[in-house]
Amino acid sequence: MTATATPADQSRNAALGQTRGPLSDRVTGGVLLLPGVVWLVVLFLLPLGIMAVISLGSVDPGGHVSLAQPSLDNYGQAFRPEYFPAFVRSLYYAGAATVLSLAIGYPVAYWISRHGGRRKILLLILVMLPFWTSWLIRTYAWMIILRDNGIVNSLLVGAGVIDEPIPILNSDFAVILGMTYGFLPYAILPLFVSIDRLDESLVQAGRDLYATGRGAFLHVTLPLTMPGIVAAALLTFIPALGDFVTPDLLGGTDTTTIAKLVQVIFTSGRDWPYGSALGFLLMAVTIAGTLLALRSLRREVIG
Amino acid sequence: MTERNLPGISFDEALEQRLKQANWSRREFLARVAAFGAAAALTQLLIACGQGGASPTAAPPTEAPPTTTAVATPTPAPTPVPTPEKELFVYNWDGYIGENTVQQFQDKYGIKVKYDLFPDEATQITTLQKGGNGGGYDVSYPASTWVQSFTTDGIIQKLDHSLIPNLKNLSAPWQNPGYDPDNGYSVPNFWWTTGFAWDPHDISKDLTSWDALWDPAYDNHMAMLDDMRECFGAAAFRLHLSPNTKDLGELDQILTMLQQQKPLLRLYTQDDIGDLTSGTLWLTHAWSGDWVQMTYDKPRTKYVIPAEGAVKGNDVMVVLSGAPHPIAAHLWIDFNLDADVSAANTNYIGYMGPNEAALAKIDDYIKTDPRLNPPPEVLAELIELEYLAPADLDQYTNRWTALRA
Repeated sequence: MTATATPADQSRNAALGQTRGPLSDRVTGGVLLLPGVVWLVVLFLLPLGIMAVISLGSVDPGGHVSLAQPSLDNYGQAFRPEYFPAFVRSLYYAGAATVLSLAIGYPVAYWISRHGGRRKILLLILVMLPFWTSWLIRTYAWMIILRDNGIVNSLLVGAGVIDEPIPILNSDFAVILGMTYGFLPYAILPLFVSIDRLDESLVQAGRDLYATGRGAFLHVTLPLTMPGIVAAALLTFIPALGDFVTPDLLGGTDTTTIAKLVQVIFTSGRDWPYGSALGFLLMAVTIAGTLLALRSLRREVIG
Repeated sequence: MTERNLPGISFDEALEQRLKQANWSRREFLARVAAFGAAAALTQLLIACGQGGASPTAAPPTEAPPTTTAVATPTPAPTPVPTPEKELFVYNWDGYIGENTVQQFQDKYGIKVKYDLFPDEATQITTLQKGGNGGGYDVSYPASTWVQSFTTDGIIQKLDHSLIPNLKNLSAPWQNPGYDPDNGYSVPNFWWTTGFAWDPHDISKDLTSWDALWDPAYDNHMAMLDDMRECFGAAAFRLHLSPNTKDLGELDQILTMLQQQKPLLRLYTQDDIGDLTSGTLWLTHAWSGDWVQMTYDKPRTKYVIPAEGAVKGNDVMVVLSGAPHPIAAHLWIDFNLDADVSAANTNYIGYMGPNEAALAKIDDYIKTDPRLNPPPEVLAELIELEYLAPADLDQYTNRWTALRA
């Protein structure tokens, strides 16, 4: 939309270029940054700003968002004790999915990097292959796999392991499984990058100094790939925290997340200001957590 | 669409939500493509998605005659119906109209119909509220519960009944429905009920009461619809309260009743059709149209409108206040009220409505099923969900989120 530069923009850019002399590095850099900045402003900051403004408003008797008397009331009402279980549950799901993604993703990334050989690219493409199918359809596939007369239960019953199908779907287990499955590629990619960039000779040096294989891994490989681990954790944890699709489809009555509550408030409740305020608070928590993680990372890396 | 793309979340999340919306639509969507093959349905969905960006708002504004043209027509002289415009923008559910209706309308009046689809109600309402005058469309099909707020907000315009002579085809009670006296701003289209469906293989009893959905015998094999108003409605009927109650004490009673039920439920379902036909559920809160869909997979599935009463709903045809082609819009409504056209619509999609003249031409299997065509005495007992003012709605939402959290 606004990404296409109008003639006015171009002449303005040209004018900028002239005032700063012939295409200095700075201007070139600025021009190169432009698409990214426009993207961020239009698709991230602008909506965020609108949301911030809406969160201060209220719903008038006609059902419209009113900003006549801006206040922080919506934020005051956000801390309802009833929502606490959903909030804790969100953290639990996101945390579990993150830990599992790292536990599964690290060995996979390590193996691809160290033993992938010529097939590294192919293997990475395979990791990303699920993205070729929509998230929704893949989640539906899990429903078919996990439901009472689904593939897993049929196999177990057929093999005589169980007599009656056990309910797997609509549980915490199914939700965490679905999230881990969905966010695993986000974990593997940054892990791969950091492991692949690791200079093998450093590990060799460790081994030369009589470190055991485990010792070299714990004292060389792991600390040096910590940036990748933190990036993978953030890329898993943050989207998992906002996920309400997986709990909706794979969860049961006791799997509501805070994101689902926000969605209900927006749609069924038609209360955009309150929903915006809750969304903002959730985001604030996420950002605070991210900053904390990054700070600890800096300490880790820089010393 | 934008409604659910909450700002401040990742692009992937937004994408998920869009996909998710396709899922929400699935229920209605499936219910409304009765006669379609899956392939045809998918194609239509793709078309719907593709059309998302191409809003007819792009039509040159010069084309739009003053919106009052049709309304202002004085008591019509014998002949002259105002000359209709050359095109018409319709905004409807996917697969919610007869197979040839659009083509026949185009052939009859020489009006080119641009037929846009929406995937779910939230998208529809958001679009129609855009600009406060209908988002550039001429005709749409909201649920009757929206008529009051749309009228107040000036989103829909007063109908010129002289341009809709086929209004006479509606049965008497529907000439003057509660939500819109004398059909001043809307014309009833099709109706449905909300009861529950079960698999007689798992539950041999003939269920008739909402009590079934609170019966511990079916523990972990039941679901309620993931729909706030419908869940409150079901509990209200069980308590012999109104599903539209605004009394805080009564709402607390309803919440207590739903809290008692929650441990017995497997889930609040978004896919009652799939969850029942797959065998996960024995019993589920369901819309009548969804039940029709269940019988395609599992013909033995039963459905009942519970004895304590149930929610009924209907949708309406409206002319939007910013309609660029108001006269063509009136002709469209009149055309769809025609006995033959209305019956053809019903026979194709399986939903029926209050068109009395069409009755003789509607297939027997639809007409004779009291669950799809409730007799008047049953219909009279059913209650529609009314529009709730924001303050009242908040009381519902607060309780619903507390229940779900």
